[in-house]
Amino acid sequence: MRLFRFLIFTFSFLFFAFITVPVLNLFFVDKNSLVETLKDGEVWGALLTTLKGAAFSTILGALLGVPAAYFLSEYEFRGREFLESLLNLPIVIPHVTVGIILLKLLNSKSFLGALFSRFGITFVDTIYGIVVAMCFVSISYVAVSSLLGFRSVNRNLIWSARSLGARPFQVFRFVIFPMAFPYILRGALLSFARAVSEVGALLIIAYYPITAPILMYERFEDYGLKAATPIALLVVLFSLLIFTILLTLSSFLERKNG
Amino acid sequence: MVEVAVEKRLKNFTLSADFRVKRGEYLTVIGRSGAGKSTLARILAGVERADSGSIRLNGEEISHLPPERRRISYLPQGSSLFPHMTVLENLLFPLKVKGKKDISAVREIAGKFGIDGILDRKPGEISGGEAQRVALARAVLSEPEVIILDEPLNQLDFFTKTELIEELKGLKGNLTVIHITHDPLEVIELSNRVLLLERGKVLFLGSWRELLERGEGELPERIRKFFPYR
Repeated sequence: MRLFRFLIFTFSFLFFAFITVPVLNLFFVDKNSLVETLKDGEVWGALLTTLKGAAFSTILGALLGVPAAYFLSEYEFRGREFLESLLNLPIVIPHVTVGIILLKLLNSKSFLGALFSRFGITFVDTIYGIVVAMCFVSISYVAVSSLLGFRSVNRNLIWSARSLGARPFQVFRFVIFPMAFPYILRGALLSFARAVSEVGALLIIAYYPITAPILMYERFEDYGLKAATPIALLVVLFSLLIFTILLTLSSFLERKNG
Repeated sequence: MVEVAVEKRLKNFTLSADFRVKRGEYLTVIGRSGAGKSTLARILAGVERADSGSIRLNGEEISHLPPERRRISYLPQGSSLFPHMTVLENLLFPLKVKGKKDISAVREIAGKFGIDGILDRKPGEISGGEAQRVALARAVLSEPEVIILDEPLNQLDFFTKTELIEELKGLKGNLTVIHITHDPLEVIELSNRVLLLERGKVLFLGSWRELLERGEGELPERIRKFFPYR
């Protein structure tokens, strides 16, 4: 028993060390490089582009993923399990491949690319390309989490609500959605975090406007580790800040839901 | 008057229920686990479809109506309170979804069910007995003609159960109640008539006393043998 407990503690400690030590190590950054990075307009521009792209991709992902998850949770039909497995498809495709898939689909000579360009929307090296690529690689998180949220609502509550006089939309609005919302928020949070870190797909479809991870990669290639580390630190700080805010909100809502 | 004649193919047998419940009557439904009692309750409430048959409420066919238009309030097994709402919000729910502005009835019913002191609490912060009181009060607030209770007093301690039996007696005569239970105490104390369901068929429908005296089959015999109340 003591050996078992020792092993559990040791491996738990190693796990947390494994994920926190590399991040904490980032803070030992060269002071001059950090000051120069803080004064660098390109870095702030890249950070802003990253956050903007991730925010829009998360909103787009939620707009598409939440209804799809509700559809899968609510309706029984042939092929439902297959569709459910598709929710995870974007996660298993390598990210550079995602870039190639999207470039093939949305380049200006393709059918869809030409169609969108009529409305002034092009995807290669634009913010739209960034949003679509980020959304593709991150949408699974919000969709899967929403599905778990909708499935977590006990059928008893739905039946009770209906027999108390609520129409299906009222049941969704007053019972199902509020109860699933912490899951949706948590999924959106993971989608956002995933979108911020995207490099592979962006390298192919939208290298520009430059995002922070790509700028980091570029600086590393051109000037080495010393130049890339301060940007990495800034990205981590921003991500942690947003992560903390949203996680606190999500926990608050879960407590509120009882 | 509720007139039921429904059929539904279940996994091992066909639920085939044909009976009437008089207006204001308190009917208890007993039977083994898996006899089709809860399925019958869900079909009556409209949250599950029968394969065929009809359900008439005061002469009106309601089997095609969605649950919210049947005037039947259904308390499923287990907790049915919305955990993200306070007790007050739970009680207001049936009024809110029907767009009713006058909420004076809520205070009155809350007082009647003895839950006016817990209105600001969440369901997770109240006892099982209080939760069932709230669920009953909420069902009454939806102004149904029929209330279906699926084992509402299950898992309550004896004292709380007897208190709630007294509350349920208050519903007798005002509403038609269909109450599924496994507990002879609830049957004796509450029912005008008792319906015995066995593998989807109505084996007996009559008073408790009649069930003891005339009921045929294994269950009435077991009740006679193990339950000395006469």
